[in-house]
Amino acid sequence: MTRFLALLRKEIAALFLSPIAYGVLTMVALVTALVFFEHLRLYNQILFVFASTTMGGFDTDTIPDHINLRDTVFNPVMDQLSMLLIIPLPLVTMRVFAEERSRGTEEVLLSSGLSTSQIVGAKLTVTFGFVVLMMAVAFVYPVTAIAQGGLGAQHLAAVFLGLTALALGIASIGLAASAFTGSQIVAAAAAVGIAFFFYDFGWTHAFVGEDLAAFLDAIALRPHFRRFAEGLVFISDLTYFLGLMAVAFVLCRFALDFRRVGG
Amino acid sequence: MTTAQPTATGVRVVARDLSRRFGDHLALDRLCLEIEPGETFGLLGANGAGKTTFIRLVTGVLLPSSGSVHVDGLSPAKDPRGVQQKLGYVTETSRLYPELRVRGFLRFAGGARGLKGDALDAAVARILLRFDLESVCDRLVGNLSKGFQQRVSLAQAFLHDPPLLIVDEPTGGLDPLQQDEVRSILGDLRGERTVILCTHDLGEARRLTSRVAILAGGRLRRMGPTEEVLGEREPLELFAPLAATGTPE
Repeated sequence: MTRFLALLRKEIAALFLSPIAYGVLTMVALVTALVFFEHLRLYNQILFVFASTTMGGFDTDTIPDHINLRDTVFNPVMDQLSMLLIIPLPLVTMRVFAEERSRGTEEVLLSSGLSTSQIVGAKLTVTFGFVVLMMAVAFVYPVTAIAQGGLGAQHLAAVFLGLTALALGIASIGLAASAFTGSQIVAAAAAVGIAFFFYDFGWTHAFVGEDLAAFLDAIALRPHFRRFAEGLVFISDLTYFLGLMAVAFVLCRFALDFRRVGG
Repeated sequence: MTTAQPTATGVRVVARDLSRRFGDHLALDRLCLEIEPGETFGLLGANGAGKTTFIRLVTGVLLPSSGSVHVDGLSPAKDPRGVQQKLGYVTETSRLYPELRVRGFLRFAGGARGLKGDALDAAVARILLRFDLESVCDRLVGNLSKGFQQRVSLAQAFLHDPPLLIVDEPTGGLDPLQQDEVRSILGDLRGERTVILCTHDLGEARRLTSRVAILAGGRLRRMGPTEEVLGEREPLELFAPLAATGTPE
């Protein structure tokens, strides 16, 4: 445990001493704010159109039920954020293993008495912790406004859980990509490519059979997030994202162990 | 520089028919050697001779393709953690974390070797003193000169007071003054613990080692007391790769 904690502290220090962490946090906060306020602006315009009377006043009774904060602002923002996460997350994960390999410190780690499970476990724990922090930052604006709109704490919690689970899933892909290369650029590009590819296979439904469509939905990221966005928490969706994290752990371990055999 | 205090007696390192292959390339070919406890042993050879491969096999970073190596009776292939607890490893060129401060880096290195609490504090304080790093202990590793970085690299290998020290090309890329400084640190270790010094600098080997092995093309070319091996004929010819049928002398 002492060894694991030592590496955990080093990873936290390395992450927060790197400008990338602050850059990504700032970028996520800015993008979230921009996306959110853009939808809020559109919502206000729509409200204005429906609520304006010919006499120059306002009448809220003329606003249709489907024009509300949840359906017009919150849900579209969450949907867009889920897609936008594919860009900043690989910037966080690309350095985790690839940097150690490119500057030769991987050999220092592997010869220091730390097991590969401890190395991978510490790195994944810190990265996943940072992703949760990132999601909390991304959630500030929507929560502040939607809490006023009466979405409900349970729905908010489900969406936060879903968005965080999705982010952890994308981060898992990024970590696995980082473990198999010494180039941070290759790791980031591979993570973006793989996450984008597995994001949603909905577009294939018109061309494939029902069974294959169901299978593609089962392995894609977005369908598992979508139910959270609707306020529904399914164990199967949580299992999917936890499974991605477990697969990332196994792949990262394999990558380190394989280098002992393959060089 | 503070005078070194003997703290350990060293361990025996034994390699038997040790081979390592990378695809079609045979980096180490049936190497047999024994390094005695407390000995400063030089591993010489040109670039690509197999020195670093041998070291990686001893540290457990790589697995052998065939044959075996044992450190104090333990196999790095089967019990890497057990072997790593007995060794300190200074890699070729300083492979450090430039974003960490010297003290923070040493605390991490000590923690990774299982030191904690007062034992860790004492080990870091002792090493900072021994390697004259107190003046730079709060500076970022990346802002240090190469000489200081190499000192930090050496210091991290001593934190857990290992009986075996493995040093790979410790003076590569350093200026003559820094080289002399590192050599004097290594010179202080003679007899204190087992040291495997991997180098292609003959002067360094003459100055620091009692016995050397010369590797060429992954094979053992010659092994014996340093003066005998390096003094009896033009040593540069020993660095040339062996013919395919060549056998160790």
